[in-house]
Amino acid sequence: MVEITHLDSMPKASVRAADGTAAAAALGLNFGSSERRGDTLVVRIRPDEWYLLGDGAPAMAASLDLSGFASMVDTSHSRTAVRVTGDRAADTLAKLGSADFGDHMTPNRAALGNGIAGVTCDIVRDDQSGVRSYLLLLDGSFVTYFLGALHDAASEF
Amino acid sequence: MLLVPCPHCGPMNAGDLTYNGESHRRPDPKTCTPKEWRTYLYLRENPSGWLLENWYCSSGCRKHFKIERHTLTGELRAPVLPGRKPGATQGDMK
Amino acid sequence: MSYRLPAPLGNAIDRSSAISFTWNGKKLKGFEGDTIASALLANGEHILGRSMKYHRPRGVLTADFWDPNTTVQVDDEPNVRASHRKLADGMAVSAQNVWPSLKFDVKAANGLVGRFLTAGFYYKTFMKPAKLWPTYEHVLAKFAPGGAVDLNTPHGRYDKRYAHPDVVVAGGGPSGMAAALAAAEAGSSVMLVEHEHQLGGHLLWGSDDDQVAATELAASCEAAGVEILSNSTVAGRYEDNWISISQRNHPGVIERLIKARAKTLVVAAGTIERPYVFQGNDLPGVMTSGGAQRLIRMYGVKPGTRAVVFTANESGDSAVEALQSAGISIARVVDARSGEGITSASGSKSRVKRVTLSDGATVDCDLLVTAVGWTTPTSLLNMAGDRPVYDADAARFFPAGPPDNVLATGGMVGDGSRNELIAHGRATGELAAGRAVVVRHRIQAATARATPVDGQEPDYPADERTPLDRARHPEVYRSTTHGIVDYSEDVSSKDLFSAAGEGFDSVELIKRFTTATMGPSQGKLETVNTVAMLAEARNETIAEVGTTMWRPPYAPISLGALAGRINEPTRVSVLQSWHEANGATPILAGQWVRPEHYGDPAAEVLNTRTNVGIIDVTPLGKLDLQGPDVPKLLSLLYTNKWMALPIGGVRYGLMCAEDGVVLDDGVTARLDEEHYLMTTTSSGAAKIWHWIEMWLQTEHPDWQVHVTPVTTGLTSINIAGPNSRELLGRLTDDIDLDPDAFPYMNVRRGTIAGVENCIAWRIGFTGELSYEIHVPSGHAVHVWGQLLEQGADLGVKAFGLEAQRIMRLEKGHFIVGQDTDGLSKAPVTGLNPLLKLDKDDWAGMPEVAWTIESGDHPVIVACQPDNGSVVPEEAAQILRAGTTEIVGRITSSRMSPTLNRSICLAQVTKEFATPGTSLEVLLVSGERITATVQEHHAHFDPEGARLRG
Ligand SMILES: [Zn+2]
Repeated sequence: MVEITHLDSMPKASVRAADGTAAAAALGLNFGSSERRGDTLVVRIRPDEWYLLGDGAPAMAASLDLSGFASMVDTSHSRTAVRVTGDRAADTLAKLGSADFGDHMTPNRAALGNGIAGVTCDIVRDDQSGVRSYLLLLDGSFVTYFLGALHDAASEF
Repeated sequence: MLLVPCPHCGPMNAGDLTYNGESHRRPDPKTCTPKEWRTYLYLRENPSGWLLENWYCSSGCRKHFKIERHTLTGELRAPVLPGRKPGATQGDMK
Repeated sequence: MSYRLPAPLGNAIDRSSAISFTWNGKKLKGFEGDTIASALLANGEHILGRSMKYHRPRGVLTADFWDPNTTVQVDDEPNVRASHRKLADGMAVSAQNVWPSLKFDVKAANGLVGRFLTAGFYYKTFMKPAKLWPTYEHVLAKFAPGGAVDLNTPHGRYDKRYAHPDVVVAGGGPSGMAAALAAAEAGSSVMLVEHEHQLGGHLLWGSDDDQVAATELAASCEAAGVEILSNSTVAGRYEDNWISISQRNHPGVIERLIKARAKTLVVAAGTIERPYVFQGNDLPGVMTSGGAQRLIRMYGVKPGTRAVVFTANESGDSAVEALQSAGISIARVVDARSGEGITSASGSKSRVKRVTLSDGATVDCDLLVTAVGWTTPTSLLNMAGDRPVYDADAARFFPAGPPDNVLATGGMVGDGSRNELIAHGRATGELAAGRAVVVRHRIQAATARATPVDGQEPDYPADERTPLDRARHPEVYRSTTHGIVDYSEDVSSKDLFSAAGEGFDSVELIKRFTTATMGPSQGKLETVNTVAMLAEARNETIAEVGTTMWRPPYAPISLGALAGRINEPTRVSVLQSWHEANGATPILAGQWVRPEHYGDPAAEVLNTRTNVGIIDVTPLGKLDLQGPDVPKLLSLLYTNKWMALPIGGVRYGLMCAEDGVVLDDGVTARLDEEHYLMTTTSSGAAKIWHWIEMWLQTEHPDWQVHVTPVTTGLTSINIAGPNSRELLGRLTDDIDLDPDAFPYMNVRRGTIAGVENCIAWRIGFTGELSYEIHVPSGHAVHVWGQLLEQGADLGVKAFGLEAQRIMRLEKGHFIVGQDTDGLSKAPVTGLNPLLKLDKDDWAGMPEVAWTIESGDHPVIVACQPDNGSVVPEEAAQILRAGTTEIVGRITSSRMSPTLNRSICLAQVTKEFATPGTSLEVLLVSGERITATVQEHHAHFDPEGARLRG
């Protein structure tokens, strides 16, 4: 059983910050990991880039000290989020993307970039009450196509 | 498909990266001769052996990196360049 | 007459479940578990097809996946392997490669003219004269093998998936099952791939004990959590154990391609029995010892009534037992180990009737079983770099030593009892699992996101397996007569001898020249015999001749499986549903689905020029640039100057690649001190983003610039036409639209239709007074609706891509990639004032400088056909008058609704670029027309009065 949800209106911000900046220190985390802070999911998606996701994202973004080589872009309207949840969620993604979504390589809280059904996605393993779940972030213009591809892939489960 | 070790992401399918070919130095555009510039544009060493090449982790960390690949055996290794840390960008390693 | 044997023979069939099917229209019955071939044989149908070149009748030879001459048509599916495909209720099976019928085949006359079809026949006969090739092709096509493709067949559902197992085991015989089981018990995730329908390999047609052992091992594998892929083939092994698996047993899909990255690959492909080469070896009724045993023990089918068995090994001996158990009388056992032999078989057109022995004696029979040795299917090992070595004492090839992450086990590496094979398999599985642990440790340690690994890397396990013995086996390849070597391609030993006589001394060349080993069985039955024939013809040893390179795929894969699910991403703007609801004709531009027009593009042009039009230009690439060094970056990317663009300013720029060729263009606005918004062409958006990252990371890592794509985040709407200021003014209070406060090529930020954080700039692609607004996409539907509502009395109408293209052509704006091509260096555009050679550096500058210096380049000009009603095709050639010398081409052309005449852009050599020059344009029809070069690129309002107003 796989559940696919389009989280259309989730607030999102992208913060870019170089080593040594106040913003980098405040956001922390290791590259490829994520953490829930209040109602914000903070993801270090690239060595010098963090995503702030969820209702708390605008406030957290506004509170960041962006001095030095640091910047923020509100990506709420650029990117959209799709959640794939269920025991067979990894198997669903494995039909569309080449990365290893299993527990060794992508444990809960891990984050990575991978092409899913030909669309570049940022993926956060974000289990929901112990059930396997992946949050996929992608350019919003693909979402109609993308949901179709996901449902097609999940149809065997 | 080759597994290419991105210094940030770890081993990646070559197909998930962008291959930018042999590493070469860009001549000074103000002073170079046509021959130097066109060598930079078009001529490649294509050795049978170790080759320093450029890769771009386009679907992963979006970082450019260099790696040495043995064109005969397909072996890959981090480039051994004095004073450089692994995963340094092309610019750092010139 | 029924050839079905009583139970317990037939372990693969379920006699309680009968299946009806037709064979060439005739109604027949089989059982669940039957292959098409076993069901046909059970019904006494022993001719299943005709051979490719000579149309000789052919029957079952091996009764497994590799059976070379049993391809049939099933319903609308051609080229089905009858000895592999399971029978299904209602199947309409027919023979293919026969005309007009299976039993009476006029093309069998080919056999009489066989000398024309010897090795290299196609090359020698049909190469010249080239002009006759279409005729040859037409005739030859009728003789080509293969079934009928029904073009109306609906698209089948194929699939694809990735996998990351610790261990992939190729081959589900005793060693493969034992390896998979041991690896799984050691904690590995294991995929076990078997190309037949059941696990078990040769145990399935062995003794009762063998069959019990097969069932037990298969059950243990399943219990241990091994992922069992039966009726699936490991098709290829590529770098770093990238494994392609063709899975044919997945419910709901015809075939599925699995791309697996295995940490260790175990190859347990067993052995394949070689056919014997002698005159008459392709008659129906001649089969391998494995084939006969499979038919009897697995399918309960009697392959004949009176048999001669030619044996050189235990498999032949065991076949004798099987034949006896089936009540088949053994006319003679001819034992190669004691020097006996057979020289030929003869029969009617449809069946073997008599065998001639080496001593000249003849024996009547309807079945000839041969057991002359084994081919080691080393394909996957070859693909891993192994070069197998021939062992004359064992009369077969063995692996020389694959790389550490590939392990071979079972019949591929030696011989042994069932328990010895299982023991070797277990040891191999343990070793594979041990090595996989190390590889996994390395990968996890190198991957930041992975579960952290504790402690030191485990030791890499050494190979301490006890090797299997190699059983001695006589070299028995060919009798004193010639026979078929490649059944699929109809290549005989005589063909190979004559090719050798012509000087083909390399097995790789002889393979290509004769096409031996190149058929659907991918050399599994033919390669070693081909090598042996070449060795004999050249008086060399098999070891000296060596083997051919085995390449992927191990077995054919359908094209559908390679394609998998069709995932072609498409993009839409948030306004697309409005466009669709309002009659837009969609057009796919790159990945974007866009409105081409809403019914009448010419009317859309005229309304925009007269009143006001709005167009959704969201696909325009948009990049958010932030940081202190953005001006340096822009100066490097664009040909013109950017260091002094004021806040609120917008500038057009042209980008070149390092070879000076035009790469992209667009405008960039300075929104704030260190904040810019760049636009690119729609198709260039992703390319330019990566291009910028490349420059920043590799050449100027010290520059501080952050680049973020925001194409989708900002829905872009161009408001164009004389009423555009009035319209926008009705929707905004905080943007001063007074021409002095907000002049051409400026940008402002403000609230539009109540939506904050909108960006508006004045540019003029259409040539009209126009504002391009960029709205946070979540609010774009509202803003679009407000524009239409508030502008109703102003005559506002939406226009599509086609109207925009017409208007930009009327204004003479070139489009990168349409009016320029992969050879168009920047000076071709005529924008020389923008090519600032006094800057320190910009991408492509040296080439552009040298191009300007040489002056040797074509230029873009506007031209108008002298007959304004003719629109020359885009890409129509421009010729020097009265000659065929090409001096240019039309790059864009349209009928202009504004000017009511045809207009063009063209690329021409400089000689033809002067205004007033008459051009001769060759239309596709062959007609030549004249066109005149214009003074300006703009056909309409060249002074730009409208857009600056
Ligand atoms: Zn990376």
